[in-house]
Amino acid sequence: MARRIPRLAQAVLTIVGIYGAFRLVFDVLLGQPIPSSLLTMYMFFVVAGVYMVFTFTEESTRELVAPIRALVEDPRRKPIRNVVFALTPLLAAWFTYAGLQPRIEAPVELRSIHPAPPSSVKMFGKRFDLLKLEKEEPKKFRQLVAEGAKVYVENCHFCHGDKLDGRGPYAEGLNPVPMSFQDVGTIAQLQESFLFWRIATGGPGLPADAAPWISSMPVWETFLSEEEIWKVILFLYDYTGHRPRLWSENADHSKH
Amino acid sequence: MPTTRNIDEAAMRRGARAITQLATIALIVCGALAAPAFAQSGDKVKGAEIYAQRCAWCHGEKGDGQGPGAARLVPPPRDFTFGLYKIKSSGFDELGAREDDLIRMIRDGMPGTSMPGWKDVLSEQDIRDVTAHITTFVELDKPKKQVDYGTRIATSAESIEQGKKLFLEGDRCSECHGKEGKGDGIKSLKDDAGFRTWPRNLTKPWTFRASNDPKDIFARITNGIPGTQMPSFVEPASKDKLTIEQRWHIANYVASLGKTGMRVRPERTVIRAAKLEGEVPTTPEDARWKQAEPATFFLVPQLIAKERFFTPSNDTVTIRALYGDKDIALLLEWDDRTKSIPGDERAEKIADPEIAEDRIAVQLPVEIPKGMEKPYFIMGDAAHPVTLWQWSSGTTKTAESAALAVARGIEKVEARAAAAGGLTAKGAYRDGTWRVVMKRPLAAGDPKDDIRFAEGVFIPIAFSAWDGSNGEKESRHTLTTWYWLLLEPPRGNRPLFAALGVFLLIVGGEAWWARAATARRPRES
Repeated sequence: MARRIPRLAQAVLTIVGIYGAFRLVFDVLLGQPIPSSLLTMYMFFVVAGVYMVFTFTEESTRELVAPIRALVEDPRRKPIRNVVFALTPLLAAWFTYAGLQPRIEAPVELRSIHPAPPSSVKMFGKRFDLLKLEKEEPKKFRQLVAEGAKVYVENCHFCHGDKLDGRGPYAEGLNPVPMSFQDVGTIAQLQESFLFWRIATGGPGLPADAAPWISSMPVWETFLSEEEIWKVILFLYDYTGHRPRLWSENADHSKH
Repeated sequence: MPTTRNIDEAAMRRGARAITQLATIALIVCGALAAPAFAQSGDKVKGAEIYAQRCAWCHGEKGDGQGPGAARLVPPPRDFTFGLYKIKSSGFDELGAREDDLIRMIRDGMPGTSMPGWKDVLSEQDIRDVTAHITTFVELDKPKKQVDYGTRIATSAESIEQGKKLFLEGDRCSECHGKEGKGDGIKSLKDDAGFRTWPRNLTKPWTFRASNDPKDIFARITNGIPGTQMPSFVEPASKDKLTIEQRWHIANYVASLGKTGMRVRPERTVIRAAKLEGEVPTTPEDARWKQAEPATFFLVPQLIAKERFFTPSNDTVTIRALYGDKDIALLLEWDDRTKSIPGDERAEKIADPEIAEDRIAVQLPVEIPKGMEKPYFIMGDAAHPVTLWQWSSGTTKTAESAALAVARGIEKVEARAAAAGGLTAKGAYRDGTWRVVMKRPLAAGDPKDDIRFAEGVFIPIAFSAWDGSNGEKESRHTLTTWYWLLLEPPRGNRPLFAALGVFLLIVGGEAWWARAATARRPRES
C-alpha cells in the first residue's frame, strides 16, 4: 500500500486547496475577485471546519499534532526545530510591524451625480419653471442638429469627447470625470429641462450635495445663447440615439 | 419511449443542423478568400456618409481641415486635400500614405491630439469605407513603396548607448529635440501650412502620435514627419543619411527616454510630504528631495471662465513636498520647451506674439476644510477663499520673484507681498525643465489670508502654470483640479515596540515548550 499522507499535511493541503479554488473560480474564471474581507471570513470558517473534522476523535487529534510534537520533542529533529523556532517569531514580528505602519488614505468624495433639480431657476436673467419647460420638436430639425453639432465641437468636445463618450483630450486631467452621453444612465434618464439647467448654470449652479466646487463644467450662460443650448441638446440626443424623458404621462416611449 | 414520428423529427433536425453547419463553414471559407479583395476596396459612398457624421466637424466637409471645430485645435486637424500625412510607412519621397497607415490612425487615434480612436464606434469595414472617402479629396497614385525596416535590432544597453551617441553627434537630433530629448532645442518651427509646431518632447511617450514602439520611431526617423521640419534621414540629398542599423539604435534610445518617473499615475492623488529633521531644502538641487515621493498631475487649459484658453503647451507638473518643525517646502517640476525671459532677444524671437514670464502657482484653501466642502477649484469663492503662491521667471531687468495672493473667486484676486506670508521661491531652468522650490513657514502671515498647516490632515491643493512664450498670461493658462497634500506624521516607535513585544512573547513560549518537552523526555523513554 502506498504511504499515507500525514494527517497534518492533509489538513494543510485541504485548506490551501480550498483557498486556491476560491481564487481560481472567482478571480481567474469569473473575473470577479472576492473582496479580501469576505475571503478572510470564508477562510476562517474553512479553517475551523477542517480543524473540527481532523480532531473529531482523540486518535485523529493525536495523529494530527504528532509531527508538531515530534518536532519539539524528538532530539534528532533539533536542527529543524531551531530553524522553525527562529523563523516563527521573526515572521510574526515583521507582520506586526508592517501591519501597524500608518498609511493614511485620501478621503472618498461622495457626490450626487444627478442631483434633484430645483423646480424653478433663474437663467439668462429670467425665471424658468423646470417642471413645465419643454422644447417642442422643431421643424427644421436636421439643420438645428447640425448647428448644435457646431456648438458642441467648438465648446464641449475638449472634455466630453468627439464620440460623446466623456473621454475628450482633457478628460484625464479632470475630477470628477466628464459625463459620457453615450451611457444609458445619463441623458437617456433625464429630461431636456434638466440638461438645459445643467448646461446653463454649470458646475457652480449645482446644489451642495453634488459638490459644485469640483465640477469643471463651465457656466455656459456666459458663453452661449439660450438657442445655442437648445440646439446642442438636440445634437446630444440625435448623435447618441437616446430620447429625452418626457414629463407627460401619455408620451411616446416606443422610440426607446 | 420515442415514437417513430419523434425519431424522424429528431433525425431531420440533426440533418438541418448539419446543413447549417456546412453552410456556415462554406461562408467562412468564402469570406476568408474574399477578404483580401474586400480589404482593397472600402465603399466611398458609405464612407462619405460616415465622414459627414463623424469626421467633418473637424476635418471639414471638403476635407480641407476647416471644420467648425478646427479653429480651437492644436495641432490643427489634417487637411486631406494635399495628400500629405505625418504618420505613414510609405516611401519618404511619395505623397499619400498606405491604406494601413490611414486605417491605423482612424482606428487607434492620435495621442496628444483631439483625434480619438474610433474602433469602439466604427467597424473595420466602416473604417475602410472612410479611408476610401478620404482618398477622394485629392487625386493621387497609390503609394508603391514601403519603409524598409531591415532586420530589427532588439533594444539593449549597447544599442541605446550607440543611439545616444548618434542622437547627440553633430547635434543631429538634439538640435531640435534638446540634449535630454525634451523638445527644447530653441528654434522657431512652422509646418508647411504655416502653423507653429514644436519638436516632440521625447520623454513623454504618451504624446507620440503613433506609439513609442521602436518600430514606429524607426519609421519617423526614416520618413521624417512630412510637412514639418522633421527631416527624412534616408533622403539621398541629405548629408546626414543614416543606415538602417543606426536608425534602429536611435529608435531604441528614444524609446528608452520615456522611462521616467514623471508619468501621471491616476491613482496617485496625494502629495505625501515626509518630515525632515532640521531645515527644509531651499534649492531644487538639494539631494534630500530624493526622500520625497513625486506625484505628477495633468495640466489642462483653462476652458472654463473669463477669457478661455484653447492652445496649451505645458501638459504635466510633478510635485514633491518635505516639511520640518518650522517650514514646508514644495518642489514643482515641469517640462517647458522655452525659458521665457522678457527682454531676452533669443527668447523673444522664439515666443509667440508677445513674450511674458513663465509662471507657476500653488493654490491652497485659507482654511483647511473640515468636511467635504472645498473652495471652488479655480480661485475659490466668496465663502471659501484660497491662498495663491506664485513664482515668476523674471525679465532681463528684474530677477525671478515670489508673490502671494488671496482669491475669493476668479474676479476677486488681491495681490500681497510674498514677505507678508513668509513665502520664498527659487527656480532653475535646465534642458527643457523648470524646477522651482517654494518655502513657507507652517504657520505664518494672517489667518484670514494664509493657511495654517497641520500634520495628518488632507489639505486640498491645486496648481496653475503659464508658458510665457505661448501667449499665456492672466486667465490664459493651464491648471489642475484639486488634489491632496498630506503632511505625513513621523512614523513613531509604536510599530517597532509592538513587533518587539510579539517577538519576545513567541520566543518565550517556544523556550517554555522546548524546556517542558526536554523535561518530559527521560520519563517517557
